[in-house]
Amino acid sequence: MPGLHLDSRDQNLLDGKQGKAMQFAMQTIVAAANIESAKSLIEISFAHIDSCFYSGRAHLDFALFLLQHKAQLAVPTWTNTGLVALDDFSIRDPFASNEVDEARQLMEAYVQLGCKAVWTCAPYQLPGRPKLGDHIVGSESNAVSFYNSVIGARTNKYGDFFDVCAALVGKVPLTGLHCDEGRRSRVLFTLDDIPRQIRASDIFYHLLGHLVGRHCGSLVPVISGLPDSTDEDDLKAISAAGSSSGSVPLFHAVGITPEAATLDDACQNQAPEKTVSLGVADLQSAREELGTDSTQPLQGIALGTPHFSYTEFERLVGLLQGRCINKKLVFYLTTSRYVYTQAESQGWIGLLETAGVKIITDTCTYFSPAVNGLEGKVMTNAAKWAYYAPGMLPVQVVLGSLAECVESAVAGEVLLDSWATS
Amino acid sequence: MTQPGNSAQGKVLVAGSASGLALLLDEPLSFWGGFDPRNGKIIDVHHPQFGTRTTGSVMFIPESRGSAGTPGAIAESLRNGNGPAAFVLAKTDLKISVGVMVANRLYNLDVPVIEISLPLMNQVSNGDEIQIIPEGLVLAKISGLD
Repeated sequence: MPGLHLDSRDQNLLDGKQGKAMQFAMQTIVAAANIESAKSLIEISFAHIDSCFYSGRAHLDFALFLLQHKAQLAVPTWTNTGLVALDDFSIRDPFASNEVDEARQLMEAYVQLGCKAVWTCAPYQLPGRPKLGDHIVGSESNAVSFYNSVIGARTNKYGDFFDVCAALVGKVPLTGLHCDEGRRSRVLFTLDDIPRQIRASDIFYHLLGHLVGRHCGSLVPVISGLPDSTDEDDLKAISAAGSSSGSVPLFHAVGITPEAATLDDACQNQAPEKTVSLGVADLQSAREELGTDSTQPLQGIALGTPHFSYTEFERLVGLLQGRCINKKLVFYLTTSRYVYTQAESQGWIGLLETAGVKIITDTCTYFSPAVNGLEGKVMTNAAKWAYYAPGMLPVQVVLGSLAECVESAVAGEVLLDSWATS
Repeated sequence: MTQPGNSAQGKVLVAGSASGLALLLDEPLSFWGGFDPRNGKIIDVHHPQFGTRTTGSVMFIPESRGSAGTPGAIAESLRNGNGPAAFVLAKTDLKISVGVMVANRLYNLDVPVIEISLPLMNQVSNGDEIQIIPEGLVLAKISGLD
């Protein structure tokens, strides 16, 4: 491409001196620069890849092509969830094909390539995460949003294949959210009409993320009025919900996120183009929108979308200790193997399993063949699960707070006690 | 064939050549989750073209809905021969382009991805016979494009 500066390593890769896989990776980065009209490339320090998630033979063929031609990763590269849990050999193949085998081979191929096998959609919960201002590559939508918004690392929302190509080359085109201009907030969300007590509840952040995603279009949002108590679990909820109902790869929250010490910082000293004032009625309608009408009895609970954190485990244990989940229900929780080990060292895994919780690592409940019996009316604390699951599983969804999910699980019927019902 | 009045020069995102019948997407589609790469059908129940088979078509996409899984789904549909013959976009899309590039490389295909302006795209009708040449010229044999 004329005008794109390539250094000698880039040129060697492009000339095929490091083999066909590295050549293809470099061709892809150069093509991306052309497609996005970028004038230069920028070095990245980290990648979190989605290419390990199987959706067909092409995924595996690509990974095998990379291995066959001795591709070499240029930066630390971590894996998103896979289709299966690698250490669970009991799972069945829903399509009676070899997809589960190929999904497993795909995950193994990326380990062989040198990826760190974290298998999580919440890699930011693990130690060794990127820092403010780092240029990185992310693909999974909630992780992209969390990295950009909460950590202040810089990534566009990439996708399959490109994420690996970037990790091999170690560079991406300098465009979009890698540039200051792309990170400027243009739409302001205010929460003045929402009582403080509601702003401090866990379900609030899921509903807020859903509403922000619905209303901000392609503009970067800034939220004003989040309480000081807002923690990373809350920000994870906004990241996940906003990138489900909409496509929000970056949000700022005044006084909370690192590029928004003030509203002026988030807007880079310009006036927002649009202001949206959210009220309690908006939250209630978001909750209704995310639920499915159903007179069916409650059959299951699904927690951990995105993957459950250590602090969420701590809260769940506090709510469930000494109690038992109603035997009519299945209760699934998904997490990363890293957080699982942390929870195990506290004795929480045994305690939760005794209460009736099925804990799954490496994958996710709404698309994995590892999950059995999640059907009918299912309750979740996650807006992202509520948004996607009805299209993928035969379920009707009720969205509740973590406490409501636990009380309902014990009682065996939906119990909602919070303000969020109209 | 290249009579004036029925062609548009596009920006080449992925070079290739193809011919097929135009299929215009009425609404943005997520290729991951909304499209079955095993048979090339649109499976998003909320999409107005739910059930439409895209196989062999020249797909005109005014606006896409990006998902991290989009490139994988597109590459898989091209691998098994059930994907579109070409993609024409009104808005640049890296994910669709990368899915096509990977399939072209792995399976020795020649599927093009071309970007043209939305006003030009709006002149195309479903079922128009379309041809695309590697230089990025999009030719409509029946109606649209000028």
